[in-house]
Amino acid sequence: MDALTITLPFPAAGEGTRARTRVDHKTSEEAALVRRVQARDEMAFREVVERYQSKVFSIIFGILRNRNDAEDIAQQVFAKVYFSIKNFDFRSSLLTWIYKITVNECYDYLRKKRVRKLVYESDFSQEDAQRMEASEPAVDASVPADTRLAQRDLILKLLSKVSEEERSLILLKEVEGHSVEELAGMTGLNENTIKVKLFRTRQKLLRAAGRLTRTR
Amino acid sequence: MHREIRDHIEDVLRGGDTLKPAREHLAQCDECRTEVQGMQEQTELIRELRAPQDFAPDLRPNFYARVMERIEAEGPISIWNLFIESAFGRRIAVASLALALLIGIYVVTSERSAEDAATVALQSPQLSTEQTIVAGEDAPAREITRVDESQTDESSQDAVLANLVTYREQ
Repeated sequence: MDALTITLPFPAAGEGTRARTRVDHKTSEEAALVRRVQARDEMAFREVVERYQSKVFSIIFGILRNRNDAEDIAQQVFAKVYFSIKNFDFRSSLLTWIYKITVNECYDYLRKKRVRKLVYESDFSQEDAQRMEASEPAVDASVPADTRLAQRDLILKLLSKVSEEERSLILLKEVEGHSVEELAGMTGLNENTIKVKLFRTRQKLLRAAGRLTRTR
Repeated sequence: MHREIRDHIEDVLRGGDTLKPAREHLAQCDECRTEVQGMQEQTELIRELRAPQDFAPDLRPNFYARVMERIEAEGPISIWNLFIESAFGRRIAVASLALALLIGIYVVTSERSAEDAATVALQSPQLSTEQTIVAGEDAPAREITRVDESQTDESSQDAVLANLVTYREQ
């Protein structure tokens, strides 16, 4: 099966969505803002922080479910943005770039704390548990909280087995809910490339899950 | 996974209207069905990483100010940060300072002992020629002359010079 996916072209050429839109990230209003930040304009940087702080915070909270450290990580994300923005090459949107930094910072946090489980006793207060239970009506309430935590732990582990780019892409697709077309616009890649990358990521995740199951 | 599914996997996983060939293939291919099922389960798990819809960031006021404080604290990366921030760098810095201190102490004490020896030699004209030479052998002739000018009279200076000349001739 793997051999098939490697040798066959992907996806079918006749698909109507092929490379439909290309967003020019160099000439947008956002690009002008980024250039000002690159020139160390503090007002522009402040605008970036205020524009994206809530988004960054919710991405971090979504991944870690830990309010205590979320702000600290959010600060670190914007510090990274400040120091690295000179390397921003306008191939993707600023949000996509910040999203990638944010996810990487979350994984750095997990690595540093040597977290085997996503939320362990010392970080997961009773208040957090209640808030989590109350704030997720869409989640099947019949699944116990510790099972859900174990599942989150598992998926974070699996996501650590793919590259940063693949991780960001699948999270943008499934967590942020962007379509393939939107992802193409955000990343500067064409839609077929996005589909190939997503498919390979999904296959890697499946293989990683298989390995993990076998070793348990 | 077969091409009929692979080419439309995002549509299949979205669970909406999938193309008829894909549906038909899934109905008869166990292999593809199993793999799609695994991907669907994983997709559901990934979606668990979504922040709750009613999530409010609740950032404390002055978040920007705290970001700027952090930026100032971290500062631009320089070569000095390597010495200040890393444990290895700090050890090297401490070792260098200790070495510099030891060298300084050695230099100061050896100069003092040379000066003392010269002074002893100059203040004891009754010493034999050999003793004077042995006591002052580490000190250069010029140094002895300088000490001599400030502390002794002309006759003792002549005596020392005579001793040195005698030593060199031997």
